[in-house]
Amino acid sequence: MTDLLTAATPRELIPAGRHPGRVVAGRIARKAARSGALWGLIFAIFVFIQMRAYTSDYPTQASRDQLQRAFATNMGLNALIGPVHDDTVTGFAAWRFLGILGVLGAVWGLLLSTRLLRGEEEAGRHELLLAGQTTRRGAFGQSVAGLGAGLGALFAVTAIGTVLTGRSAAVGFTLGQSLYFALTLVAGATLFLAIGALASQLAGTRRQAAAMAGVVFGVFFALRMAADANSGLHWMVWLSPLGWIEQSRPLTDPDPLVLLPVLALIIVAGTVAAYLAGTRDADAATLAARDCAPPHLTLLNGPTGLALRLIRPVAAGWLCAITAFAVLLGSIAESSTQDSSGSVSVTQDLGRLGAHGSLVQEYLGLTFILIALLIALVAAGQITAIRAEEGDGRLENLVVRPLSRTSWFAGRLALAALVLLAAGLLAGLAAWAGAAGWHNAVGLGSLMAAGLNVVPPAMFLLGLGALGLGAWPRCTSAAVYGYLAWSFLIELTGAVVHADHWLMDTSIFFHMVPSPAANPDWAGAAMMAGLALAAALAGGALLHRRDLLRA
Amino acid sequence: MDAPAIRTEGLSKRYGPLDAVCDLNLEVAQGEVVGFLGPNGAGKTTTIRLLLGLAQPTAGRAEIFGLDCRHRTVQAHRHVAYVPGEANLWPSLTGAETLHLLGRVQGRVDPAYRQALIERFDLDPSKKVRVYSKGNRQKVLLIAALMTRPDLLLLDEPTSGLDPLMEQAFRHSVLEARAAGQTVFLSSHILSEVEALCDRVAILREGRLVEIGTLGQMRHLSALTVEALFEAAPPDLAAVQGVTRVVVDGRRVRLQVQGSIEPLLTALAGTGIRELLSREPSLEELFLAHYGSRSAVPVPAQHVAAPALPAGRP
Repeated sequence: MTDLLTAATPRELIPAGRHPGRVVAGRIARKAARSGALWGLIFAIFVFIQMRAYTSDYPTQASRDQLQRAFATNMGLNALIGPVHDDTVTGFAAWRFLGILGVLGAVWGLLLSTRLLRGEEEAGRHELLLAGQTTRRGAFGQSVAGLGAGLGALFAVTAIGTVLTGRSAAVGFTLGQSLYFALTLVAGATLFLAIGALASQLAGTRRQAAAMAGVVFGVFFALRMAADANSGLHWMVWLSPLGWIEQSRPLTDPDPLVLLPVLALIIVAGTVAAYLAGTRDADAATLAARDCAPPHLTLLNGPTGLALRLIRPVAAGWLCAITAFAVLLGSIAESSTQDSSGSVSVTQDLGRLGAHGSLVQEYLGLTFILIALLIALVAAGQITAIRAEEGDGRLENLVVRPLSRTSWFAGRLALAALVLLAAGLLAGLAAWAGAAGWHNAVGLGSLMAAGLNVVPPAMFLLGLGALGLGAWPRCTSAAVYGYLAWSFLIELTGAVVHADHWLMDTSIFFHMVPSPAANPDWAGAAMMAGLALAAALAGGALLHRRDLLRA
Repeated sequence: MDAPAIRTEGLSKRYGPLDAVCDLNLEVAQGEVVGFLGPNGAGKTTTIRLLLGLAQPTAGRAEIFGLDCRHRTVQAHRHVAYVPGEANLWPSLTGAETLHLLGRVQGRVDPAYRQALIERFDLDPSKKVRVYSKGNRQKVLLIAALMTRPDLLLLDEPTSGLDPLMEQAFRHSVLEARAAGQTVFLSSHILSEVEALCDRVAILREGRLVEIGTLGQMRHLSALTVEALFEAAPPDLAAVQGVTRVVVDGRRVRLQVQGSIEPLLTALAGTGIRELLSREPSLEELFLAHYGSRSAVPVPAQHVAAPALPAGRP
């Protein structure tokens, strides 16, 4: 007894760390820096490989001129990643990397900040830290510092990549050019870290916060895209912060002043977020949600009805966004192709991709890859949500009752597949509605077929995700998003740098015909859907045999 | 339905090098209330997850009412309701919506009893789950389990987060279930709860069943606790047959007696004894006695105010 009391009596407290008031910053910084360094590495490798391929595939000025002429009039690519700068190495680099990596960085920023701010709060971990030597506003400041460390890591590793790549004689960037280039590449990430931080104060869950920031990103991207696709609408580039970043024109015609409004926006978003973080309750959202409601039991008769009820807001948001985007694509299709009418190089370029028909059809055929990307993102989100049901322990409430895991899983996948199908059909219908008033309008049937044509890659990703969920549940989300990012990068860049066919084959988008510019390959689509079904069946069988695993 | 409510044969589960459950042989008869005890990490939750088919056994088998838990999971679940210690529900649903959903998935509900349980547990079902406290979320799961009047209730620390009043409501509900002939398998750290409710108690240690029986049987097999207060310095009792764990505190001695108490009474004769108290071990002492070095944590000595007569075993 005496020994026990002696042992329990505090003698000397040993400091657990040097700065107990900075625990939040350290914790967020570790996670953010890991992620930032990883993505910086991907950016650096991407820059290195692309520049190496470009300088070896197009070694002469003549070949570069030819490539630049082809791309300058390629409306689809202009819309997707911005207008081509010039026929130099720096022009190619500035156009391609800012258009692709800048956008990817923005998505990284919004996902990271909503995960580390609202996600941590939702999981209850943030509250534990708030009980330490800090305040709500202080903790937010520390979180921002932590995110800053992540951004610093992203910038540092990206800058190392641009500097090392630039030192090559064939590329020849100066040190200043390389650093400024790296800065513009991470500008979108910085902006959306701030917007994600603001959304994290407004929304009550991580998913809602990410969706909110995603809508802002979608609007900015759509405005920038409309401006780049149509010379008559070029003034719209000043309506979008992504357009401002594009106008910074690193390497070719640098104009750092246009980044000042971006900086101002970051400061405003950060300040408002800090104010809200200090005034709201911990674990609460600024936008109040109703705490009580009369029961709505219509859908709550089983697991599939429950799933429909749960995914309804997110699915509706995606369907609205895809519909709006498709209307936009359709409505700017004809005006966007007027500059290219009669261009032999454009026709040849599109022909190599299997596209034939009117320029409007060709334009829609190429830009529908963005619709395919959005629908694939829906698929990735759905499989992540399915895994979250298991990881958060909610699935156990269902499968401890007379319900098999496989029937629950089949219901969830079938519902997700229906959402993908609806998204494809709505995209076709919306593009037709958007283009209906134009002289060179494309028929409803063609565009509905084009809408259906973009669904199989998403179905394939869904099936692959289902297989991953059965085999390696804890890696499911990272695997599907990682594979999607890989596929999109390969699709956008592989053709330009003449990548090997086996490499192109790894992209889910490579197997998609650019409909309505070409007739959909229904046999290929059926094969992708069949593979998706086989993968889903295998995933279901594996899920049935394994333990249920928490996150 | 003559099969036992629960039967396991050589049930084992390994996680890498760790034996979470090892060669577990257990049988729970229909209508019994069985307490399942063990410290954290002993394998209680893993056993329940194996019974529910949420985890697959490494070896052995488990049955619920004669139905194999692995291969006839859905059929077995028709007889079962489960309450986990941690309530993970859908935050956007209200309590009423959650109860409706879980009842529909179970396939049977006693609506009048559900309403009675809502009142007994003082739950506001119009609130969304995201604003419920931990205790209120636990109430939702308890009501969802009890309202289906299952043949077998699998309860894994079901009262975590409940206040003492709700703990009483829970005990009342379990006694009600026992009276209705339902079987209850209760894993809990609240020993008074297990002592009050359970017909039998099973104790798990490092994945192995170390004891199972009624409290009476377990007390027979365990030592009797004796406390004595002497007029002067106490005699040395450590050598007396059957006496163990002698603790001397001034003129007070606490010890345990295994087997007959007669040698001790003989040794105490003429030693100037002023007070003598003997009592059966509590469930807490039985539990601690099964945990080797952990049982060495001393139990604070009780003050014996009045002279007590030596008590025999029941």
